[in-house]
Amino acid sequence: MIDARTTNVTRAPARVGSTDGWSVGPVAARPYAWPYDGRVDTRHLAVICIDWQVDFCGAGGYVDRMGYDIRLTRAGLPATAMLLEHARATGMTVIHTREGHAPDLGDLPANKRWRSAQIGAEIGSAGPRGRILVRGEPGWEIVPEVAPAPGEFVVDKPGKGAFYATNLDLLLRTNQITHLLLTGITTDVCVHTTMREANDRGYECLVLADCTGATDPSNHDAALHMVTMQGGVFGAVAEAADVIAATDRGGEQ
Amino acid sequence: MTEIIVEAAPSPFRFDPASTALVLIDMQRDFVEPGGFGESLGNDVSILQAVVPPLQAVLADARERGLTVIHTREGHRPDLSDCPPAKLMRGAPSMRIGDPGPKGRILVRGEYGHDIIDDLAPLPGEVVIDKPGKGSFYATGLDDLLQASGITSLIVTGVTTEVCVHTTVREANDRGYECLVLSDCVGSYFPEFQKAALAMISAQGGIFGWVAPSPDYLSALTADEPTLSA
Repeated sequence: MIDARTTNVTRAPARVGSTDGWSVGPVAARPYAWPYDGRVDTRHLAVICIDWQVDFCGAGGYVDRMGYDIRLTRAGLPATAMLLEHARATGMTVIHTREGHAPDLGDLPANKRWRSAQIGAEIGSAGPRGRILVRGEPGWEIVPEVAPAPGEFVVDKPGKGAFYATNLDLLLRTNQITHLLLTGITTDVCVHTTMREANDRGYECLVLADCTGATDPSNHDAALHMVTMQGGVFGAVAEAADVIAATDRGGEQ
Repeated sequence: MTEIIVEAAPSPFRFDPASTALVLIDMQRDFVEPGGFGESLGNDVSILQAVVPPLQAVLADARERGLTVIHTREGHRPDLSDCPPAKLMRGAPSMRIGDPGPKGRILVRGEYGHDIIDDLAPLPGEVVIDKPGKGSFYATGLDDLLQASGITSLIVTGVTTEVCVHTTVREANDRGYECLVLSDCVGSYFPEFQKAALAMISAQGGIFGWVAPSPDYLSALTADEPTLSA
């Protein structure tokens, strides 16, 4: 029997749709009031929670082993938990991603493995939280503060981007999702790569600054700043509270 | 197999020219030349112009050595059917994709401004990839082309560093390609982003790849040449 956790996309029973007419927008965002089309029904809006895994923000995980300060990658957890509560109450779709590799490392590019070894935390090697970045290990699990609820999608990805070699695009299109709220870690690596992929595919993206974090504060700041240039080259930036404040039962306005 | 070793951040970059392609990203008139779309948005294009001379030297060397050369262009079909509404509507009114610009319709395929600058014009036989997004892999044949050609390493150049160059390097890295970004052959309208974007590539043990200036890349290739004895 296939362990559901190791499949590319898992889904528990269908979520409850937004029958109450919740919608979001315009959100006070930078550099423009988000979304571009004014307002989005929560039935077409998904929160993407990127790689909130022990390996990236837990003691003994991959990022900890590389010697970075996990307080930086944990900083976005409270705001993300608050956003998730709001999202679930207003009928948004919630999607979680996990970066990781098959236990036989058959989907691990040679250069990715080599580089992780160079920095002293080789993917697949044993660590305090199990084998680093391997599916099914304790370190690969999502931390309890923002754990998936029944009915929420979980996408397993082998790279930094959540679209490459996954079913995410199919999942979004099938569920008629057109707008994305991005949270997760790290801002400049997996969040940015996913936002760039989503933007090229025509999804309207809003990254929530207080729901992200990076191993280096200046990379975090630069990554958010980049989004706001050229009229919002990849979308826009706001905070969780801005989304909550812009959500109501107004429907199309 | 010939192994070339370039001094790079965060560690030496090793590649075989036979399985390596030089990629020139979006060196289009609209982004690089005075009077183009980029300048009309208020950007200082002289910063991007500084990329051209070192990139010309790298391109000439690649052609001489027979490296695979790939050019990309960002743009859309004249009917804009491949332009997502979220991209189209984000621009300021009258400055949107498809609107008339100083060098033809903005970011539309076949227009003068959409083509590559004369100094780096593709030669017959060189690949030109037309892409609708920032990344060179999404909705293009680039990955198939690289696989079919046996290419495993990319020397990455072009504009702009934090937008199309970075998106392409991220896509390539997830697909297992090894990328060396030539720091003086990539350019940004914003100096602080140039710095941050290059730092991000080599951070965490080279999370997206390697970075080196083009003289170091060229001298590594030259050092490998057999010297003629008298």
